[in-house]
Amino acid sequence: MSATVTPTPSVVNTRDVLRAARPRGKYATGGLLSAIGSALATVALMACSAYLITRAAEMPPIMYLNLAIVGVRAFALARAFFRYLDRLFSHEAAFRQLETVRVGLLERLLPIAPAGLARSRRGSLLSTLVSDVDEMQNLGLRVIQPLLTALGVSIIAVVGVALLSPGAALGLALALILTFALSAWAISVVAARAERSLAPQRANLLDSLVDYLGALDVLVAYGAEPAARARVDAADKALTTSLVKRASGTGIAAAALALFTGVAIAIAMISAIPVLHEGGLSGPGLAVLALVPLAVFEVVANVPLALGAWRQVRSSAERIAGATDAERASDVPAEVGATELVPVPGADLLSFSNVAIRHPGAPEPALRIDSLNIVAGESLLIEGPSGAGKTTLAHALVRFIDYTGSIRLQGTELSSLHPDTVRTEIGLCEQAPYLFDEDIRQNLLFAHDTATDAELESLLDQVGLGDWVRERGGLSARVGERGALVSGGQAQRLALARALLHEFPVIVLDEPTASVEGDLATALIADLVGVARAHGRTVILISHADVAGDLFDRHLRIEAGTLVSAS
Amino acid sequence: MRPLDPRLLRYARSIRVYLAAQTLIGLVTTACVIGFAAVLTRIVTGALDGDSLSILGPWLGALVGVAAVRALTVWASETLSMRAAGRVKAELRGKVLDATRKLGPSWLARRGSISVATLSGRGMDALDDYFAKYLPQLILTALVTPILVVVIWWQDWVSGIVVVVTLPLIPFFMALVGWATQSIQRTQWDTLGKLSRGFVDLLGGLATLKIFGRQHRQADRMRTITTEYRQATMKVLRVTFLSGFVLELASSLAVAIVAVGIGLRLVEGGMLLSVGLFVLLLAPEVFLPLRNVGTNFHAAAEGVTAAEDAFAILDEAATLPETSIGSASSVVNGGTAGAGLVFAAVRAQHEADAPLSHEPISAEVLPGKLTVLSGPSGVGKSSLVGALLGFTDFTGEITRDGVSLRGVPAGERDWLAWAPQRPGLTAGTIAENVTLGDPDPDPAVLDWALETAVADDLDATRDLGVSGAGLSGGQAQRVGIARALYRMRRRDCAVLILDEPSSALDHATEARLVTNLRTLAAEGTAVLVLSHRGAFLEGSDTRIDLVPIPVPAAEPIEVDA
Repeated sequence: MSATVTPTPSVVNTRDVLRAARPRGKYATGGLLSAIGSALATVALMACSAYLITRAAEMPPIMYLNLAIVGVRAFALARAFFRYLDRLFSHEAAFRQLETVRVGLLERLLPIAPAGLARSRRGSLLSTLVSDVDEMQNLGLRVIQPLLTALGVSIIAVVGVALLSPGAALGLALALILTFALSAWAISVVAARAERSLAPQRANLLDSLVDYLGALDVLVAYGAEPAARARVDAADKALTTSLVKRASGTGIAAAALALFTGVAIAIAMISAIPVLHEGGLSGPGLAVLALVPLAVFEVVANVPLALGAWRQVRSSAERIAGATDAERASDVPAEVGATELVPVPGADLLSFSNVAIRHPGAPEPALRIDSLNIVAGESLLIEGPSGAGKTTLAHALVRFIDYTGSIRLQGTELSSLHPDTVRTEIGLCEQAPYLFDEDIRQNLLFAHDTATDAELESLLDQVGLGDWVRERGGLSARVGERGALVSGGQAQRLALARALLHEFPVIVLDEPTASVEGDLATALIADLVGVARAHGRTVILISHADVAGDLFDRHLRIEAGTLVSAS
Repeated sequence: MRPLDPRLLRYARSIRVYLAAQTLIGLVTTACVIGFAAVLTRIVTGALDGDSLSILGPWLGALVGVAAVRALTVWASETLSMRAAGRVKAELRGKVLDATRKLGPSWLARRGSISVATLSGRGMDALDDYFAKYLPQLILTALVTPILVVVIWWQDWVSGIVVVVTLPLIPFFMALVGWATQSIQRTQWDTLGKLSRGFVDLLGGLATLKIFGRQHRQADRMRTITTEYRQATMKVLRVTFLSGFVLELASSLAVAIVAVGIGLRLVEGGMLLSVGLFVLLLAPEVFLPLRNVGTNFHAAAEGVTAAEDAFAILDEAATLPETSIGSASSVVNGGTAGAGLVFAAVRAQHEADAPLSHEPISAEVLPGKLTVLSGPSGVGKSSLVGALLGFTDFTGEITRDGVSLRGVPAGERDWLAWAPQRPGLTAGTIAENVTLGDPDPDPAVLDWALETAVADDLDATRDLGVSGAGLSGGQAQRVGIARALYRMRRRDCAVLILDEPSSALDHATEARLVTNLRTLAAEGTAVLVLSHRGAFLEGSDTRIDLVPIPVPAAEPIEVDA
């Protein structure tokens, strides 16, 4: 049971995230080759058609045209066919890579969740993380592949044109380079500047809407509705201004394409026509030089879109990299230690001495416990104001976060045990219990998968949910996305049923009444504590609200950062 | 999805100007396409006929000039579309908010204020793609395509026939593919939704999984889920991409047929190169807008769905009579102290999902008294206050100083200060919340209000997030009460109404609040508290009990035997 090696939680940077998201393997290669094939077919179709009709106008014997006719038909088919293959292969590759990205993220988050995850002002980052991970698919599909295709086709076309006329090739190369440069400037400077303000402006608009609609009755009754409405309008106007600026940037990139197509053709003609008249170039050759730039620029038209997509992919990658907070993660206990708990005879169930607990990432302890002993079967109420470290205490007990000092479980120091082992002894009912988007049965069974329906139903009756479940059609009723169909009190009752099923000897209840008010809260606490005690569990309930102390054996309070006995 | 919903024209008038401007841009674009093809044809055929660079110089200049004009229209179309999107979104959003105001707070509570906010925020943003990518291409399809077909026909009717025959094949085959694969797609999308939620669920429930020791096999589970997701998605995409394949194939084959046809007629001498080259250059342009419409169809459909949700709200509001129930002229303004409220056989409109209603009540709320209105949850206590505020319809009569309140628009009750059950705080400081609606806040009254509401432990300069985020339930409740007290003091309101003011308060705080409210009543205010807590029932001067009656399930259909 030696805890020698402490594996540091893997913290990665944006570059790592992007590298992991880059599609690899035969599907990615197949997709890229098909994309280039389709783009080349587009250019070849144009060149072949130009050759065909100009050569035909010279009225040669028809057999001289057969090859060109076959070419035109073949390239027309090839273009559509390769495009289809390209889309299939590259999507397959992107989804395969998504697997790696998702699993990699999960493996990174699991050891440090929940305390080591970065938090924003709006709470957990997890909700945006999912869409950011999905966004990483676009790295291959909309960024790398179109850019490589445009680059490959540009080079091949320039080389091909050079065989006919070096001057025209130089013109085409110059026009393409200018287009790339101007697009890149317009997208990454003009559009990007506007885009940076888009996300906060969108959030601002939504905030003002939530405030307006959420308090509409109050605003009307207090005559403050017009002012709130003006806030919505101002937020809207700011957002539109940025959107128009961004559109102007993408518009410049698209306009550059249209302009330089003309410029490329003009340069090609200026350098090729004298050669034609000197006999160095055939008539059909001139037509090919005139029309090929049209097709090449059609392929290059994807470049501005790809540059725009790159910006979005990169900011998603930044957010994914920022989901773990190195500072917070350093407070998460390592997954090492003894896997078996051997009770020391005569030791109390839990004993604390000189314990200090910090909020994750904070320098100073939020809560001190000088001395506290809890015996099996006891029930405790711990009260304290918001921010006093109550949830942190709960998280320390289930080893989501480290502590200093000594907490002994049946005589063994918590930190010498593997966190998983601690969590077989001490269970937590979270402040906002997470319910999976499954039916009620599945939400209970994952705590104890061999329980029968009869056991589950009897347990639900005990936690006061029997009638509620029956009304909804029994155990197969769904709880909705993130438990949307379940009220806060019902979620707490389900969470307790889950904890009882798992047979934790110690159950910590973290603010079960956070989303339940008044008399309902009193009834909820009486039910929760009553049932847990009836099952012989040790109960530690932490709360900021005024809870009837007579339900508990002991009543403690957090005062000035220290746990003291109340009354 | 209809290409252009007529309701969009009706509800968002600013779209008409945009459509006109975009049509103009479309016409210029068409002219550019034809001009570019004509000039390029002239240059190539001229050079083949032996024209020197000095003769062709002006034509080369014209070529670059046309390209420059085309570039300008491309840029103008992009910025114009986004400007239009912004204007239409603002107009629709404004109308949705107006409609929501008209439909009232109880409608909003049923509909869910967050869902309306999301619809008017993110939902409307989906219209961006509709305006930026879909609509311009739709207009171009309607303009460029027919004009180019006419020009091609006029130049070379054989190529014209090829184009006219191929063109309708595109929508036809797309519809056919769509129709044939609809049922596969629907079942597959259901699977997809489920698999995608699996990942969301897994990330959200990480802590819960760890508590129950279930975290270890999750990476494998995730791998399986994602593999299933990929296989299911690819099954859908293989079919979805077919419609793209048909589009590409039809358009490139049509160009090939035109090119080969022209070649064969040229070789027989039945056609001029200038005509052949010109038609060849125009042929792909005929198909381009239609291809773009097809590509952007799905992005557009999303925006249209959001717009349709907005239209549903606007349609619902349009069925209501204008400015609810005609405003009465006998509006009582100003806080004449010593006024009382009289309810005569009042019953507030029963909420659709409430299990109970109440017997009509007749009662008085008198100045100088702390009146407590009680009754079981869901009986309609808050609805009764809603009726008083002008938010909810009611039967019977509510009068103040003998003047009926029926028909007085919500918001025109200067004599009333009210704190709702849900505090309804907004972003800003606590002080800003408490002095809501007061253009010139009075700090002394602010302090008094916070103290009287037992909220003096809170720092008035503290910044709150959206919906008052950052405060606990009890703190928010007390700030809401302070806001009502502030208004009462500043506007000399004769009546103070508090809806469940102590549901999240501890007993000691509640007791202090009751004492403070009794003092206020004793000073002459009519205080009405909705509560069934003991502290208020004991501290009341007068009690009104709402007697519940069960709501009849549904209208029974009488059948004569």
